[in-house]
Amino acid sequence: MAQPLTTASVPTDIYGGDEVSALVLDAGYCQTRAGFAGEDVPKSVLPSSYGSIKDTNAASGSRNVFGDDFIYARPDFEVKNYMSRTESVVEDWDTAVQVWEAMLLDRLQPERRQTQPSKNGLNDGADGEGDVSMEDAAISAENAENAEKPLAESPLLMTEAPWNQGKAREKAIEIAMENWGCPAFWLSRTPVCAAFAAGKASALVVDVGGANTSVTAVHDGMILKRSIQKSHVGGIWLSNQIRSMFDSSDPKIEVKPSYMVESKVPVDAGAPSQAILRKFGYDLHPSYRAYEDERLLTEYKESVVEVWRGPGRYSNPGNEDLVKTQPGRIFEMPDGSNQMWREQRFRVSEGMWDETAQLPTTSEEDRITKAQTVPELIRACLNAVDVDLRPNLLGNIVVTGGTSLLNGFNDRLNNELMAMYPGMRVKLHAAGLTTERRFGAWIGGSILASLGTFHQMWISKKEYDENGAGIVEKRCK
Amino acid sequence: MTSHDVRDMLNLPSEGGGSRPTKKQKSSIARQNLKGLAREVQNLGGDNPIAIVPEISSFKKRRFGSRKPAARWEMRPFRNSARGDESLILRHWRRKTDVQQPPAPQPEQQQNGESNEDKMGTENGESKPDEMEDSSFAKFNVKVDVPQYSEDQYNSTLANSDWTKDETDYLMDAVRDYDLRWPIIWDRYDYQSKDGDSSTDSNTAVIPTPKTRTLEDLKARYYEVAAKMMAVQRPVQYMNQAEFSLHEIMVNFKPEDETRRKKFAEAQMGRSKEEAREEESLLLEVRRILARTEKFNQERLMVSTPLLQNLMTADKSKKRKSLMGTDGQSTPASSGPTAQPGSTPLAEQRRESIAASASGHGHGHSRNDSTASAATDARPEKPTKKGAQAPERRKLTEQEELTYGVSTHDRLPSGPTFRYDRINKILTTKSNAQHARITNTLNELDVPARLTMPTKAVVDQMEHLLVNIQTLLDLKKLSDKFDAEIKLEKAKKAEKDKAAGIVPQPAATESATKGGSNGETAKENGATNKDGKKAGSDAASSSKATAAKPAAGEGANGEKEASTKADEKASAEKPADDEKAAAKEAKDANDTKHATNGVKQETGTGEEKEERPSSSGGQKRSASVLSSVSDKSAKRQKK
Repeated sequence: MAQPLTTASVPTDIYGGDEVSALVLDAGYCQTRAGFAGEDVPKSVLPSSYGSIKDTNAASGSRNVFGDDFIYARPDFEVKNYMSRTESVVEDWDTAVQVWEAMLLDRLQPERRQTQPSKNGLNDGADGEGDVSMEDAAISAENAENAEKPLAESPLLMTEAPWNQGKAREKAIEIAMENWGCPAFWLSRTPVCAAFAAGKASALVVDVGGANTSVTAVHDGMILKRSIQKSHVGGIWLSNQIRSMFDSSDPKIEVKPSYMVESKVPVDAGAPSQAILRKFGYDLHPSYRAYEDERLLTEYKESVVEVWRGPGRYSNPGNEDLVKTQPGRIFEMPDGSNQMWREQRFRVSEGMWDETAQLPTTSEEDRITKAQTVPELIRACLNAVDVDLRPNLLGNIVVTGGTSLLNGFNDRLNNELMAMYPGMRVKLHAAGLTTERRFGAWIGGSILASLGTFHQMWISKKEYDENGAGIVEKRCK
Repeated sequence: MTSHDVRDMLNLPSEGGGSRPTKKQKSSIARQNLKGLAREVQNLGGDNPIAIVPEISSFKKRRFGSRKPAARWEMRPFRNSARGDESLILRHWRRKTDVQQPPAPQPEQQQNGESNEDKMGTENGESKPDEMEDSSFAKFNVKVDVPQYSEDQYNSTLANSDWTKDETDYLMDAVRDYDLRWPIIWDRYDYQSKDGDSSTDSNTAVIPTPKTRTLEDLKARYYEVAAKMMAVQRPVQYMNQAEFSLHEIMVNFKPEDETRRKKFAEAQMGRSKEEAREEESLLLEVRRILARTEKFNQERLMVSTPLLQNLMTADKSKKRKSLMGTDGQSTPASSGPTAQPGSTPLAEQRRESIAASASGHGHGHSRNDSTASAATDARPEKPTKKGAQAPERRKLTEQEELTYGVSTHDRLPSGPTFRYDRINKILTTKSNAQHARITNTLNELDVPARLTMPTKAVVDQMEHLLVNIQTLLDLKKLSDKFDAEIKLEKAKKAEKDKAAGIVPQPAATESATKGGSNGETAKENGATNKDGKKAGSDAASSSKATAAKPAAGEGANGEKEASTKADEKASAEKPADDEKAAAKEAKDANDTKHATNGVKQETGTGEEKEERPSSSGGQKRSASVLSSVSDKSAKRQKK
């Protein structure tokens, strides 16, 4: 647990900050982040995938567990995701509430758990009484009275995908107000937050995330709805490309996540693995295997995959020969088999830029068209905004999202844009720290919620009571 | 060990009691500073303190030493007056103020927090409504002014066939909501006409497709409404400057122009790479050309400025000279040793170069400058003295022009020329024989072929002379020719007479005497035609003989020289134990040589040709200049 903020330092108004102990929640397909406004990283980051354990004795069904710590091989265990893969919006609201409560209530305010075992009662033995804040006594006194309103003191800022629908937005404010009793609530769009995290009110936000890539123009802190461009080119798509490459390579490379491996022995590069695999006395749900595969592939992406930096496409003659002469990267699978990767690691990511270079995939949904490549998304986005804004947007391109951390991504993007708009000034702003790139939207939300001038924006509980859930559509434009 | 120590040991009273205690004090101070350090170690340093950083224990001291109570902080509720509802009460950490009694407000604050959502204002409102602080950020809330209009006003002034009142209202709301951010207004603009309208429309079987409004349409409508409402509130003639200009801007908004501009902007954005590169290169070229012209202008200025200055100073110096020119000392022709024969051509060269470089200037100007620059050349100290510029220029009289060698030309040849080139030109254009003849004539007149001082007048005269000589020679030739012909005719006549029986005695004797040894053969031949030719060749041979004569003399002379040279060398090589004797001997040898040389010259050379060989001989005899000079003078006398 991180140290509590020292109270010796006076919170200054220099940067217009005025902390009101707001909470920030940013839900994505791969991860859900939650934390306190004003901090620079989310306190709690959980995978949006959760475990569902079937209760064998009770007919009632299943109970859910949240967090990496609880997703391990066990019988009658299924891994699910409460978010929608294609849209990155909440699909399963019941579980969403559970996940968010597990984060906002249990993980961020662990002292609350003692009085409310019924709220979660599931997992989370990790936290204990790590944080003993000054207000400990006061809060515990409050807890008894606020049992059914667990977030009565903390305004909540949530992020949403720019294409989020009105229904889902109303649902979000309902949960915040009715279930948690938040005094104030706000819904902010991820591109706006990402732009704020980069210190910009107007920007072209290129968010290359796990499930989706979106390109959105932000003007004066508001998204331009017509400019929203979305494509499924993202981390999962890239994983599928890697799978396709593994399948087509000779010999075929099998993805064996570490949970399958009992013990391994070192082998030479390219030699078949001699690992002893674990035997499970029960059936494992394929979703668990898929989840673990994805984790392994994420590691592969992080350590091996690279983007051809340009100029020009990777498929241009000569480029592959050049790459073959360069030193490759060695990746060792959990089962001990290892191999040097040279030109393949460029080939898997090339489909993001050049739809003709994508590897054949099994599922038809994974195929991308020309309009879904990253440069085309940007072009389409720019064409959908007013001409006068375009030069400014091109000069303020904010790159965020975990998949944008691929080696060479920004260089390639820059090269593509320079080629596409030769006469314009193109400038990319991509945070150097990986956390800032992965949690860009959350950080922007954290900044926004801790601003003194933002206090007038909050939708208060009273306004919600008077206007109903529809107020979110009127206010959070 | 100092005397102090000795005295101390022996218990003697110290002399200078002052120094001892101070020393002690010093050391004690140092010891205090460095606590925990052995005295011996500390003393190692002597007068200089040891460079050991003393341990600072102030951190601990501050932490545990100060028993002051920690600053108290509290979660203080506040409201934000910029909010519409004023009901939201948020809490932030603030330092507790001392005014409040510590125990009393504590539970009250707690109460505030608990009853946050159920309107704590109801219970707390009466007790301390003023105490609730307002957010310091409320003042940053600003709203745009959107024109307001009533139903009547709309109907009377704002009615527009394209826009319904409903849609206008919608637009105004959007403008207010988005604070006049047009790109967002356009982006979110989604006006749905009312159901009632569409139903009536569907009755008439025409369902109006929702109009797609461009950004320019929206702007135009808004500006129209805003301008009209402005004018309604305050007629145009009563507006102040700012209002009027704003009104003008809004009235003059032309959506077509905007659309066109945006089209251009889009086209510019969509340029291909080649077009962009071409434009870039063109721009670069233009920039380079501009830079070059600028540089060129600058260079020109840099070149012309010193030149102008030069001219200016030159002008000045010239003027001063002309003022004191009457004494004749400062004229370039008579300015002492610098007025060498070469100086005048130099001046001329100057003039030409100046005329060429300062082509933009008037001719008269350059004419004036030339002499002046020559003058500055002769006196380099002149240009250093710079005075006020004298713009007025004095006209030279004819006499002065003559004195200064100023001349005007219709056309000047490019580049500098020497005056005696003109004379050389006349000579060199002639054939060799003619050249020789001219030189002969010049020698006869005792005029040197190379002028010693080719001033303008002299050169002119020389030119004149040469032309005259030329004519003279031509005439001579002509007369010779005529003479020969007359003789020929006479001979023919005599021959005819002879054939006719008349013996013309005088003619025969004449030819015999003239022909000499050849006369007999001429007589033998009897061919009339050949006689004339013979006579011509005869004359030529006789002249050859005379020409050969000096040559022979020269040859003899050369022989003589060779021998004397050898003599000299021998004398020089002789090991000189007595230098004086050797010199004397050499002199003697020279003397004898001169004598023989003189004799030879008298005998060998012709009347006119004596100078050249003698001079060459003089040059060769470089042993003593004196002797050669005397030699020359002797020759002159002889002559």
